[in-house]
Amino acid sequence: MFKKCMAIPYALFMALFVLLPLALVLVFAFIDASDGSFDMIANFKELAKEQALGKVISNSLIAGLSTSALCLLIGYPIAYFLTKPEFNRKGVMIGLFLAPMWVNFLLRMMATKAVFNVLGFKMGMGAVIFGLTYEYLPFMIMPLYNTILKIDKSYIEGASDLGATPTRAFWKITLPLSMPGIISGLTMVLIPSITTFAVTEIMSNGKMMLLGDFIYSLKADSLNMAAAISFVLLIFMGISMFISNKYADGGSKGGGIC
Amino acid sequence: MDNKDKAKQKKNAKIEESEYIIQLKGLTKQYGNKCVVNDINLNIKKGEFVTFLGPSGCGKTTTLRMIAGFEIPTQGKVLFGGEDIAKLPPHKRPVNTVFQKYALFPHLNVFNNIAFGLKLKRIEVNYQKANGEAGVKQVKLKDFLVDPNTGKPDFSIAAKDYYSYVEKGYVKLKKIKKYVNKMTKKGRVQKEVNGYKYYIDEKVRRALKIVGLSDYETRDVNSLSGGQQQRVAIARAIVNEPKVLLLDEPLGALDLKMRQEMQIELKEMHKTLGITFIYVTHDQEEALTMSDTVVVMKDGVICQEGTPIDIYNEPLTAYVADFIGESNILDGIMIDDYKVNIVGTEFACVDAGFGQNKPVDIVIRPEDIEVKSKEKGIITGVIKSSMFRGVHYEMMCECNGFEFIIHSTIEAPIGKEVGLYVAPENIQIMHKEHVDNTVEVTFTSNTTFDMYGGTYDFTPTALWKDCSYDADQDILTIDGVETALKGSSAKIRFGFADVDMTDDEYAAPLAGNVDSMIYKGKNYIVDIKTDDNHHIYADTEYLWDKGDRVGIKIDPDKFEIVKEEAADIKTDGDGISAKNEDVKGDENV
Repeated sequence: MFKKCMAIPYALFMALFVLLPLALVLVFAFIDASDGSFDMIANFKELAKEQALGKVISNSLIAGLSTSALCLLIGYPIAYFLTKPEFNRKGVMIGLFLAPMWVNFLLRMMATKAVFNVLGFKMGMGAVIFGLTYEYLPFMIMPLYNTILKIDKSYIEGASDLGATPTRAFWKITLPLSMPGIISGLTMVLIPSITTFAVTEIMSNGKMMLLGDFIYSLKADSLNMAAAISFVLLIFMGISMFISNKYADGGSKGGGIC
Repeated sequence: MDNKDKAKQKKNAKIEESEYIIQLKGLTKQYGNKCVVNDINLNIKKGEFVTFLGPSGCGKTTTLRMIAGFEIPTQGKVLFGGEDIAKLPPHKRPVNTVFQKYALFPHLNVFNNIAFGLKLKRIEVNYQKANGEAGVKQVKLKDFLVDPNTGKPDFSIAAKDYYSYVEKGYVKLKKIKKYVNKMTKKGRVQKEVNGYKYYIDEKVRRALKIVGLSDYETRDVNSLSGGQQQRVAIARAIVNEPKVLLLDEPLGALDLKMRQEMQIELKEMHKTLGITFIYVTHDQEEALTMSDTVVVMKDGVICQEGTPIDIYNEPLTAYVADFIGESNILDGIMIDDYKVNIVGTEFACVDAGFGQNKPVDIVIRPEDIEVKSKEKGIITGVIKSSMFRGVHYEMMCECNGFEFIIHSTIEAPIGKEVGLYVAPENIQIMHKEHVDNTVEVTFTSNTTFDMYGGTYDFTPTALWKDCSYDADQDILTIDGVETALKGSSAKIRFGFADVDMTDDEYAAPLAGNVDSMIYKGKNYIVDIKTDDNHHIYADTEYLWDKGDRVGIKIDPDKFEIVKEEAADIKTDGDGISAKNEDVKGDENV
């Protein structure tokens, strides 16, 4: 009985801060703002009418996907070498690579912008992707690092014993076994980078919008619209989680922060 | 010596070498200052089943890993068919390993695990570049050449002949099926021929059949039991047809029943495959059951190598006897040739050449002791306990205060006075590895010296006969000469029984960990390893555990100086060469 009581604070927390907001998003998404009546499609119809939205979604996808790809391409080699003790004595290096997370991201973006301005780079999609990659790289490195670290050395030894060169052993063993880390890294970069705001605004001088910025730009009275977009995003999130779970089950368990 | 002789000698050497598939020459591995494997020399014959046997940390696995290529030796050679492969990476070595924890790839199923090596198989082929230069390129298994008449890949095709064989009409493995279909249509070839995929398929299936796991190809390796995973690991290694198969405690994770089954199967496999097995284990029974040759190791050194029967019946040292099977290990004194005194009673034996009144170690196997009536035995004792062990009774008999373990199918009642008889040939007599502790020490004052980093008090009058010192102990007079000992060094000696072991390491000048113990029927000879890897031996009646941290106390009166004329003998307590022990034994008597 006592043990059950211990769970009450967590249950309350879950109810108040997780379930209730989710429910509210759902409710608001299906309520027509004009007359307050329940309407399955009113808000989505309204969304479809929005001229800018198409552009926002395509921008979001381009920015999100290229950020994820860049983070993976840059993050994997970093994570891989950091798992080697000779590159990462006592975990100092991994700390250094994760250190940017400790600095406020707005500050970092503004600093980056200042540097870009000095160098005369054009602010736009490229700058946004750079900013997002800078912002989310640690979120890719961390799960990759944890996954690769957990891969048993004897697998690599086994492969080389069977005639695999180090390169071949990497492609045949290390990479497939780090799949769970890749998937969770992608999940942690893709959705947040699509829905981020401020980064786009700063790095494109307010010329570009991603879904996050779009929600932010909606007026306070169009909560229902915002909820509708969130609902769409939720579906995206659900799909990506589903895919990641499916892959994560295949390889060795564990890895990743989530 | 003229050239002809030289050539002849060279040829002989080659013939001698070719008999051995693997030779270890002065193989040494150090991690920092710690020597894990120390100057190992070993020859392994083709088709032999060799087992490295020893407790954990004795260097057996490191030796195996140096043969496999996972560790690069600090010194020495690993000869494979006469060629040094010590610095070759593992993927270039013609050996395969079965790992202790199997190391099956978790993301591949049974088939792909086993086919892993086959798919990677490559040969180097010499070819001529367009500009006429000679080049070498790697050819994958699927490009191996197949004799279209037999349908089997011909691995014997030498690299330099590769292209000439292509011209002869040999076909690449991957294309062979297509080729054969075409030819069959024309009515030219009627033989069944396998293509690349089928070739691998067949090999994997055959390997699975050998390990008794037919029809398991598509199973997920994680869903298999320990024994099945073990079999897959073996199949994965043997499918590559290595010249030498290395097995690193492959049965360690299996339960007893499974282990015994696998032992028999492995032995069978060794017979059928006809390849060399190098096996590592800490299980002496496993080693004796399976091997042609057992190599007993301790502290990175080979203690003894020989057939299981030799190792069991004629252990060279008390350590080997203690490690292999159950045994009664006792102190003895070789009175004369063929006569030995054990626990105060004279026994007849078959050994000679030890000299007179030499301390020796005695090993008598429990099954070699015959229980007779009181009058008919050589020595009398009282049965203290008896336990039924299935095939035999295990009895403990006390004679002159020493315990003898006896295995017999006939039980003697507890409390009965009996006579024990041991046939002369069943008494195994060995040189003692150590008879005392001999250490080079540095004096730090007239009454203290430094031994392995610990400061010990000593009584000068015990060290030197003609010696006196004044009340303040400032001035020491040895042989009428006033001497300041500080800074000088000497070789001193103290007996096993003079060492007092204490639980409280801070109460003693020097501390160490119990490394091993040997029961001598009444007392234990304990090997204490100091933090600097020096050994000090102690004789105690108390049982300590391996790894116990103990303080080493020594009575100041018990030290003796090793005399000058004996000083040229190099002994420092670690020296174990047999020659030296003889001399040391001399001094002791």
